Amino acid sequence: MIREFTFTDVLYLVAAMRWTLALTAIAFLGGGIVGLAIALLRVSPLAPLRWAGTVYVLVVQGTPLLAWLFVFFFGLSILGVEVSPWIAAAASYSIYAGAFLGEIWRGCLQAIPKTQWEAGASLGLSMAAQLRYIIVPQATRLAIPPTVGFLVQLIKNTSLAAVIGFIELTREGQLTTATTFRPFTVYLTVAALYFLLCFPLTQASRRLERRLHAAR
Amino acid sequence: MPLVDLKDVVKRYGTNTVLNGVSLSVEKGEIIAIIGRSGSGKSTMLRCVNGLEPIQGGTVAFDGTIVNDPGTDLRKLRQHVGIVFQSFNLFPHLSVEKNITLAPKVVKGMAPAEARRLAETVLRKVGLAEKIDAWPDQLSGGQQQRVAIARSLAMSPQLMLFDEITSALDPELVGEVLKTLEEMAREGMTMMLVTHEIGFARKVADRVVFMHHGKIWEEGPAAATLGAPRTPELETFLSAVLH
Ligand SMILES: Nc1ncnc2c1ncn2[C@@H]1O[C@H](COP(=O)(O)OP(=O)(O)OP(=O)(O)O)[C@@H](O)[C@H]1O
Ligand SMILES: [Mg+2]
Repeated sequence: MIREFTFTDVLYLVAAMRWTLALTAIAFLGGGIVGLAIALLRVSPLAPLRWAGTVYVLVVQGTPLLAWLFVFFFGLSILGVEVSPWIAAAASYSIYAGAFLGEIWRGCLQAIPKTQWEAGASLGLSMAAQLRYIIVPQATRLAIPPTVGFLVQLIKNTSLAAVIGFIELTREGQLTTATTFRPFTVYLTVAALYFLLCFPLTQASRRLERRLHAAR
Repeated sequence: MPLVDLKDVVKRYGTNTVLNGVSLSVEKGEIIAIIGRSGSGKSTMLRCVNGLEPIQGGTVAFDGTIVNDPGTDLRKLRQHVGIVFQSFNLFPHLSVEKNITLAPKVVKGMAPAEARRLAETVLRKVGLAEKIDAWPDQLSGGQQQRVAIARSLAMSPQLMLFDEITSALDPELVGEVLKTLEEMAREGMTMMLVTHEIGFARKVADRVVFMHHGKIWEEGPAAATLGAPRTPELETFLSAVLH
């Protein structure tokens, strides 16, 4: 049955954004934790730890996110382990975002000159104290733009979670198109809603960067 | 017992032998000037003293502690050995005060108010008391370098290492930093300084060490060694730097 694309449909799309947001939040949180660990492994003075971090990044960046979603949701259930879509999504997105955030943050940590570590070490600071008081504060400033850039990608990539049953923004758009046959209007609305999510983030990133710069 | 004792120190980067059997002892209160051509191993030797560079042979001892012993707590050792670099290496995200107080607070657990007073004290020593709340990028090179010296002094080191600390400075700023060094010399600080300022070395140093090809080629009392070199290499070097 074909019906009109009405304001109610727009409201449904807006409502579907909550899943997009929830998935993004989970992915960013989980990915942030994993990413921090990976970044630290990758700058560790111990070679085996660095290798472990490198292998993780190579494997995850070399495999599609979709594959991880399938593995966690369908793969495990074939093995008899029932996994809720939330768990599957949280695990897949954390693994995926962790690799990319880890690489971004590693780059920022390594962009701080070796001489800053040396200056800290020469004053008797431990490795952890050098990171905490000298390296991380400087790296954070560098990390903001690429991190927000990745976050914006992440928002858009949450649409992949549709394959394991999430009716987030893009999926809701597909469903609406199926009943209204107005793909142009529907997807334009979907695109506008994504823009509404992403644009303020990029703006906030710029402001934050400026503020941190002013505060050094 | 000498404060610093290097014995047959060998340092290699891959197949490149940078220090090839360096032995040197420094007594408490002594001021040693280290001179030599670029690449002769001056910085490397200095960095071995506080354990920034691992070595492949020989021993480095500071105040009886073997620096290159894997069991040595380098963090503890480095609280007693200050080092100042050519490129200042101030922490750009911290104010002058925080640059100075970071280590006393974090490493020694000093209270903030006491740390601030300490910052005032060491800044007065380098003549920059009024810059306590400035940021590194608001300071001239000479001022930044003096803050770096103050930052080291705040840990009350027994030994100060200086690696060409005036080389990155405009000529008119060199004097203020050298004056600070002279002040420290008068107070009896033990110092090892790599320098191209031959005149300053002659005036302030007790002993001069000339490095060549990773070895201590010639050493002796400052005035005698610089005034009458015994090796043609030192003679060539001196005539080159003195034009
Ligand atoms: N991290 C490093 N890796 C590889 N080689 C190095 C490293 N640091 C120094 N070297 C090499 O060791 C040698 C000695 O270097 P060093 O910095 O001690 O010389 P220097 O006497 O301080 O010279 P300069 O007057 O230019 O500072 C040089 O040949 C240099 O190329
Ligand atoms: Mg050098």
